[in-house]
Amino acid sequence: MNSINAIAAIALNTFRETVRERIIYAFILFACAISLLAIMLGSLSVGQDVRILDDMGMAAIALIGGVIAVFAGTNLVYKELERRTVYIIFTKPVTGWQFIAGKYIGLSLCLLMIVAAMGLFLGFLVWLSATPTLTSLSQDLLLICKPLVLVYIELLFVIAAATFFSTFASPMMSVVFTLGLWLIAHFVDSLKTLGHMSQNPALTKFSDIVYLLLPDLGSLTKVRGILMYGQHAPTELVSYITCYVFGYVMLLLLLASVVTEQREFP
Amino acid sequence: MTSESEQSKNGEQPVAPAVEAANLVKDVFSDFLRKRTRVLQGVSLTVRRGETYGLLGPNGAGKTTTLKILLGLMRPTSGKVTVLDGPAGDRKTLYRIGYLPENPYFYSHLTGAEFLDFIGQLFGMPRQARRERAAELLDLVKMRDAAERPMRKYSKGMLQRLGIAQSLINDPEVVFWDEPMSGLDPIGRRDVREILKQLKQAGKTIFLNSHLLPDVNEVCDRIGIMNKGKLVCQQRIAAISATGNYRDLEDYFLTMIAENSAAEKAVDETGGPIEDSQR
Repeated sequence: MNSINAIAAIALNTFRETVRERIIYAFILFACAISLLAIMLGSLSVGQDVRILDDMGMAAIALIGGVIAVFAGTNLVYKELERRTVYIIFTKPVTGWQFIAGKYIGLSLCLLMIVAAMGLFLGFLVWLSATPTLTSLSQDLLLICKPLVLVYIELLFVIAAATFFSTFASPMMSVVFTLGLWLIAHFVDSLKTLGHMSQNPALTKFSDIVYLLLPDLGSLTKVRGILMYGQHAPTELVSYITCYVFGYVMLLLLLASVVTEQREFP
Repeated sequence: MTSESEQSKNGEQPVAPAVEAANLVKDVFSDFLRKRTRVLQGVSLTVRRGETYGLLGPNGAGKTTTLKILLGLMRPTSGKVTVLDGPAGDRKTLYRIGYLPENPYFYSHLTGAEFLDFIGQLFGMPRQARRERAAELLDLVKMRDAAERPMRKYSKGMLQRLGIAQSLINDPEVVFWDEPMSGLDPIGRRDVREILKQLKQAGKTIFLNSHLLPDVNEVCDRIGIMNKGKLVCQQRIAAISATGNYRDLEDYFLTMIAENSAAEKAVDETGGPIEDSQR
């Protein structure tokens, strides 16, 4: 029972800390500004304003959410070390995995709040720029909700990667590693295709192994695109992608916990 | 090494130790070239239950490293540590100890009350118990009026007081305080001495790292002096004054350090043990 208490306490503390950082509010303002810009762009192209608004708004949410995930995530553990608050935490009955789980859940909840706020704002803008009726509001929100969930799932992966790297690297290096892994995750499919195009069987095998080891977020982006245009995506595919991403999240958090358990705090 | 006589020699029952470190060795490695430095060289010490023990030593003597090993924040290269019959850093043991770090840094975004509540949650204390205990401790450290202010607005002395409060939230059996008087004005130091006396009366075991010898002299039952990674001596405060050879604790401390440094120098000149070695 105390495991849950400790995780909840660390999660709440992380949530409070991130919410009280003014940088978060700056990003929300930025999201609002870019959505307003999208309206202006939309008015320039006849009949396409809603679509442009949708596209740009979702891209802005993914980008801003990603920036918050990378920068807040890579500072998660480092800040505790730098401020020497780890001495307080690890002289209490708290294990490495409770610490990592608490930090991760706290930041994830904070990001959920921000992404949801941005999504609601975007949904409202889309509704306003189309035909604003009460029934269409719920439809517009629902249309945004599905791809937004996938954006959030991707961000959960980014936070897990940032958390893992922050357990052993400096914030600057963690940012580089996290962005690198995130980028690779979007292009690892191409690497596999490239390997299969080669005539060399060893290279094909190598690209297969690399593909198996590295996360592939390409299909998540594709499904997000399908959902954004109101098309149907097979439930099995969405479930598979969700489980796949969560598998990597668990793996990264497990590795982060092992590193935290093993390290000393001089 | 000077050592005091054990209680059992006076016919008393030997008291089970609260803290026991046997032959602790700690090597640290520099980031670049992995140069090894031995920061602890076979430190052995025992703190009895209910005793107030002061670990003294000049800067860089290895006091904080010893303390961190006793708490499980660092692992010894070799040697054994037992705290309340359990290994250092063991979760069950951590429920029963309190720790005040040197120059405590906390979460500036939290208020003092929120911080104590957070620490109480880490111990799994129920909400009501946390509130009651936090209020009690805020009164003890005279911080009730500042409880709702964010910690970024606290002075160094206020942070130190809050640090003391958080170290007592679980009503620990053993408290480890690293430089508890640091950053405190004379009134604050007097208040901390009072808290220490209350803890002593309550039968708590207290382990102090301190530079402030008059305070140590007033509150400690026994001291250990460290120099260059070694425990030079352990002695009862009462025994030091009983010898009549030393003006005060400071005189004793300086004499011990000087004697040890002279002995070290002599060993070095005759080709004794090497402090730093290349891996």
